[in-house]
Amino acid sequence: MRTFLKTLFPVDIFKGMKLTGTHFAKVFATANRRKVKLHVTEEYPEVPVKLAPRFRGRLTMLKDEQGEIKCVCCLACEKICPTQVITIESGKKEGRKTKIPTRYDFEMERCIFCEFCVESCGFDSIILNHQFELAAYNREDFSIGMLGESQNMFGLTPVGKFSYSDED
Amino acid sequence: MFKNEEMEINMGPQHPSTHGVLRLKLKLDGEIITKCTPCIGYLHRGVEKICENKSFFQGQVWTDRMDYTSAIANNLGWAESIEKLFGITVPRRAVYIRTLLNEFNRLASHLIWLATHGLDIGAMTVFIYTFREREAILDIFDAFCGSRLTTTAFRIGGLREDLPPGFEKKVRDFLAKFPDCINEYETLLTENRIWKKRTIGVGILKAEDAIAMGVTGPVLRAAGVPYDIRKAFPYAAYSEMDFEIPTRTEADTYARYQVRLEEMRQSARIIQQCIDGLPEGPVMAKLPKVLRSEVNEVYHPTEAPKGELGYYLVGEKGSLNPYRFHVRAPGFINLQALPMMIEGGLVADVIATIGTLDVVLGEIDR
Repeated sequence: MRTFLKTLFPVDIFKGMKLTGTHFAKVFATANRRKVKLHVTEEYPEVPVKLAPRFRGRLTMLKDEQGEIKCVCCLACEKICPTQVITIESGKKEGRKTKIPTRYDFEMERCIFCEFCVESCGFDSIILNHQFELAAYNREDFSIGMLGESQNMFGLTPVGKFSYSDED
Repeated sequence: MFKNEEMEINMGPQHPSTHGVLRLKLKLDGEIITKCTPCIGYLHRGVEKICENKSFFQGQVWTDRMDYTSAIANNLGWAESIEKLFGITVPRRAVYIRTLLNEFNRLASHLIWLATHGLDIGAMTVFIYTFREREAILDIFDAFCGSRLTTTAFRIGGLREDLPPGFEKKVRDFLAKFPDCINEYETLLTENRIWKKRTIGVGILKAEDAIAMGVTGPVLRAAGVPYDIRKAFPYAAYSEMDFEIPTRTEADTYARYQVRLEEMRQSARIIQQCIDGLPEGPVMAKLPKVLRSEVNEVYHPTEAPKGELGYYLVGEKGSLNPYRFHVRAPGFINLQALPMMIEGGLVADVIATIGTLDVVLGEIDR
């Protein structure tokens, strides 16, 4: 008799539907009224994403207060890189004791964003910034270096429609 | 008039419920499967060979990409096997943080398993709820190491950095609401008649067969064998944790579902103990700048979400990289049992059986 009633009235399925219904009703009824929203989705391209401070984005070189490149060409990042995307050529500059890179090539299409290079750097001369919208139409756009117009090793790459900069 | 012929069909490699690029050659007699041959290798990248040509520090990034749903468990196995090879002692705080993140990884992996397993069988709703919690876990990973999937979370000798500010609150918030979330999945599935019809008595793998095939993880525990590396050969901080190994004796798909849900509860318990008893101190051991190996070999088993994940490393004298690197991938070994489980069954049950084995092809093909 019990089994028959269970078959007749699908209580198990109604329980599941009640759960879904409750969640739907809660979010629907409080859609624009609550300060802390109940829904968990984000309207990503329209509303910029909030990134964690440790987010690993694209490799960038840093300059010190005088506008000098901090890198001294110790080649630690080139050696540690698991995919060999960094190529450095060193040169000399008058009035500077340490070496200065004449070429610092970063091939982003093979970069895996592991942050080993930043970790190995003893001079804090490179960081991974918070840029993550890195799509581009041409392969050349991924070859980033110090020379030329489009090759921007110091700032943000001019790719991606909704580019979002490092704000903290 | 009707010829009694066997038909051979291909399932995959682009089939949505083969979880990647698994191809199954099925021989059918009507709707009964008479023979099944899994074909793998579509995602082969040669991770083992690559790691033999990279230094001990560099190899970790490839372990992220083996089982991409549980990168932290892979990282942990890699880091610990190299620490074993060189005899490095890791600070206690680092060990606790590793254990905590590893258990979070188990939750994330089991959640994605439940979502895809449900989707395969037809329970669409549970997918939405499991991904809600997985998102919270991935945010925790993001806060800790800056990446959600390819984490590269640990370093040889400890961790790169200590926990970020606000991390503990995030973990506690998650733990406060997570038991209710598991109850929600249970409401949706455990008593659901369609779920029960699709899973009970499907894909049975008895304990002796499972042991003979080398199957580990929840599949083995659902057959009644309480074998868990966390208890059998404790690593990380598991010897100090209080948790149970859930087992069932039915050995079918439904039993594996129950085992995994119970495992999630136990994982939450371990995380709670880790965050409560987090010791103070440094997170990185003192290491030489260059690790040069001696002639030495090591096998380090860890309990990945899918089963026993073992790393076998052989060192060469004075070398910067391992002479031989081999991974005992749980998915690869578990997949061997698939023909045994589905032969004699129906085509519709293949989907449920692949789902319950929880295969990830990135790990199987490596």
